[in-house]
Amino acid sequence: MPSLQEAKDKLINSQIWRSMFRGGTWKDTSRDRAQHILGNVWLHLHPARIRQRAVRFTYTWGLGGLSFGLFMILTVTGLLLMFYYRPSVELAYRDIKDLEFAVSLGMFLRNLHRWSAHTMVLLVILHMVRVFLTGAYKTPREFNWGIGVVLLVVTLFLSFTGYLLPWDQLALWAVTVGTNMASATPFAGAEGPFSNLLGITNANDARFALLGGTSVGANTLIRFYVLHCVAVPVVAGALMIVHFWRIRKDGFSAAPLPGDAPEKKMEVWPNLVVREYIGAVLMLVFLIAWSVLQNAPLEELANAGVTPNPSKAPWYFLGLQELLVYFDPWLAGVVLPGVIMMGLMAIPYVDPDAKRGVGYYSVKERPFANTVFLFGVGLWFVLIFIGTVLRGPNWSWYWPWESWEIHKSLPPPSWSLVLVDLTDKAGVFFSSQKTPGLRIPGFLGIGAALAAAGGMIGAYFGAGLALPKLIHKEIPFRRALWVTAVASLFVGVAAKVAHVFLRHHDFIGKNISQFGPTEIAYVAVVLFIVVLMGFLLPQKFLRTSPQSPVQYVTTMLLLLMMLGVILKMGARMGFNIKYILSLPAINLNL
Amino acid sequence: MTEPHDEPKETTPLLNPELTRRGLLAGAWAAFGAFVAGSLGASARFMLPNVLYEPSQRFKMGKAADLPLGVTINKKERVWVVRDEKGVYALWSRCTHLGCTPNWFPAESRFRCPCHGSNFNVDGDVVAGPAPKPLWRCAVDVTPDGDLVIDKSQMENRPGFRDKGSFHVTV
Repeated sequence: MPSLQEAKDKLINSQIWRSMFRGGTWKDTSRDRAQHILGNVWLHLHPARIRQRAVRFTYTWGLGGLSFGLFMILTVTGLLLMFYYRPSVELAYRDIKDLEFAVSLGMFLRNLHRWSAHTMVLLVILHMVRVFLTGAYKTPREFNWGIGVVLLVVTLFLSFTGYLLPWDQLALWAVTVGTNMASATPFAGAEGPFSNLLGITNANDARFALLGGTSVGANTLIRFYVLHCVAVPVVAGALMIVHFWRIRKDGFSAAPLPGDAPEKKMEVWPNLVVREYIGAVLMLVFLIAWSVLQNAPLEELANAGVTPNPSKAPWYFLGLQELLVYFDPWLAGVVLPGVIMMGLMAIPYVDPDAKRGVGYYSVKERPFANTVFLFGVGLWFVLIFIGTVLRGPNWSWYWPWESWEIHKSLPPPSWSLVLVDLTDKAGVFFSSQKTPGLRIPGFLGIGAALAAAGGMIGAYFGAGLALPKLIHKEIPFRRALWVTAVASLFVGVAAKVAHVFLRHHDFIGKNISQFGPTEIAYVAVVLFIVVLMGFLLPQKFLRTSPQSPVQYVTTMLLLLMMLGVILKMGARMGFNIKYILSLPAINLNL
Repeated sequence: MTEPHDEPKETTPLLNPELTRRGLLAGAWAAFGAFVAGSLGASARFMLPNVLYEPSQRFKMGKAADLPLGVTINKKERVWVVRDEKGVYALWSRCTHLGCTPNWFPAESRFRCPCHGSNFNVDGDVVAGPAPKPLWRCAVDVTPDGDLVIDKSQMENRPGFRDKGSFHVTV
C-alpha cells in the first residue's frame, strides 16, 4: 500500500499530469515553482517572485483580488440565473418567483448573486481607499488609478442595471429615479438646463435612449438585461485586463522604502497563491452563510401607479438619493457625480510629489491628501447613512428610535435667494410659496439678480482660491482651530440676534420662521468645517506646496465644491433655502 | 537611325499634382473620422425607437358630472382629477423632481413624494422639497354624452396657461 505522499508523487509525475502543467518532471526546485507560474495561463498574471512586504495581508487587505473573485462568483451565479429568467414584462417577475419557490437552489443562487454584488461594491470602494492611503496611485500608476475609477463606475452601473431585472416595486422605482436623472443632463436631457433651446423633448433625449421609451417599460427591461448580462460585463472584463496587466507592468507599489536594505523576494508558488486561495474560500464561506441566512428582497410586482413610501435605492446609491434632496437633479444627478469621477481621476495629476508616501500607510507624510480624501469618502458615507437610517415615510427625517407610524409634521416651505423671471422680465429676491419676495421689474432686476447670484458664487470660489496663497504667514494651527470654533459660534449667535430684530420683516420672518439652538448649531458647525477644510488646511499645507498653478486651482476647486455641498446642505436643512439662483426659463437651478 | 518617336502626349494626371502624400493621408484620416462619427451617430439613432407600444395617453374617466368634489385618484392611468367649484382639471401623478408617484394626503391637502420629500398643493405648485417645477396638468374635455376625456400627451404647468383653454373644463 503506497503512502499518501507516494501516491501524490506518482500522480504529479505521471504523463497525463505533466502534460497538463508544463515544465517536465516536478523536482520542487525554485526553478520549478517559477515555471509553474510562468507556464500556466491562469497563473501567469502573477510574477514568479514577489516582495515579502507586498504579500502582507495588512498592506492590501486582499481587496483587489477579492473584488475580482466576487466578479467571478457573480459571473457564475448570473449565468445560472439566466437559465430560468426571461426578460419580458409579463414573465420576469414570475420567473423570479419561480427561482425563489420552484427551482432547486434558485433562492440560494439569487441570494448569492445579490449579496455578492453588494459586497463587491463595498470592496471596490475600500480597495480604492487602500490604494489612495498607500500612495499606490502615483507615477507610474496614474493611468491605472484612472482605469480603477472607471471600473468603480462600471461596478455601480452593473448593480444599477441588474436592479431592474426582478421587475418588482423596488426595481421599478429605483430605475425610474435613476433614469430620470439622465433627463436632467444639461443639453441632452429634456428637463435639464438649456435643452429647451435645442428642441430636446422626452421622446428624443438621453433618458429616452436609455429607456427605449418615455417610461420604464418592456423596452427598458430588455435594454437593461442586455446591458447587465452582456455589454457591461464585457466592458468590465476588458478594463480588468488592462487594470491587471498595468499592475504587473508598473510594478507593485510595496517597493523597498528609502534607506531599507534590498528585500528578499518570496516565491509566488505556493506562498501567494495559497493566500489568495484562503482569501477566496473564506469570502465564499461568508457569502454562502449570508445567502443561507438571509433572502434577497423581492417586493410586489412593479406598479407604475404606486410608489412605495418611502422608496429607497440600494445602499450604495442612497448617498446620491440623499444628495438629490438638496440640489436640483442636473447638479446632484449629473454634474456632481461627473465632477466626483473626474476629480478622482485627477488626483494623481494634481499630486506634486511622485515619491512621497508610496508603498506604506503614509498618514503623517501626506496630511493634506489623506485628510481631504478621507473627508470626501466620509461625507459620501454620511449621506448614505442619512438616506439608509434616518429617512422614513415621505422622506421625512426619523431618528432610529422614532416610529414610522407616527406622522411627521409637514416640511416648511422652501425659498430661493435669487430668482430670475424671464417670462415677466424681473429679478426676484427671497421668494417662496409664502412670500412673493422683493421683486425688481425689468432688465435692471434681471441684471441685479444675476449679479447678486454670480457675486455670491464668485466670491466663495474666488476667496477660497486666493486666501490660502495670499496669507503668507504661518498660522498657529491649534490656536486657529479654537479661534475658528469660537468665531463660528459667535456668527451663529449674531445671526440669531439679527433674526430677532428682523423676524417681523416680510422676507426674513416668513422664510426663516424658526431660529433656535439647532439653527445656531447649523451655522456654527457648517462654518467651522468650511473654514477648517477650505482655508486653514490648504493655508497650512498647500501654501508652500510645489504644485503648479493648474494643479493648485484644480485641487482647490474640487475641495471647494465638496465644501459647497456641505454649505448647501446646511442652508437647506437649517434655513429651507432651496436655490441660490433659479432660472426656470432654461431649467437652471443652483 | 533612331526610331521616330512621338512627341510626349498631354496626359491628364490620375491625381491632382498639387496633392502631396501628406495631403492624401490627411484626407484619408478625415474620411475615416467622418466614417467613425457617422457610425456612432447611426448607432445612437438606432437606440431611439421609432414606434412605441406604450398605452394610449388618451382615456375616459366616466361621467364628468358624477365626479366628487376634491381629488379623485386614478392609479392605473396615473392622474389625479381635481374638481372644485369652478370645474375640473387633471394633474399627472408624476413628481417633477425624478418621476415618482406622490401620495395624496387629504387632511393636509398636499401631494407628498416618497422618494425625495417634495410637497405640492392641490394646484400642483411646489410647497416644499426639491421638485423644481409645478406638477403637469393634462388636457381635459367632456364628450357630448358627458364623459370626461383626459389626454396626457398635452401638458401645461405655467400659471395663467394651465387653468384655461384645454386644461380646464367647466362641469
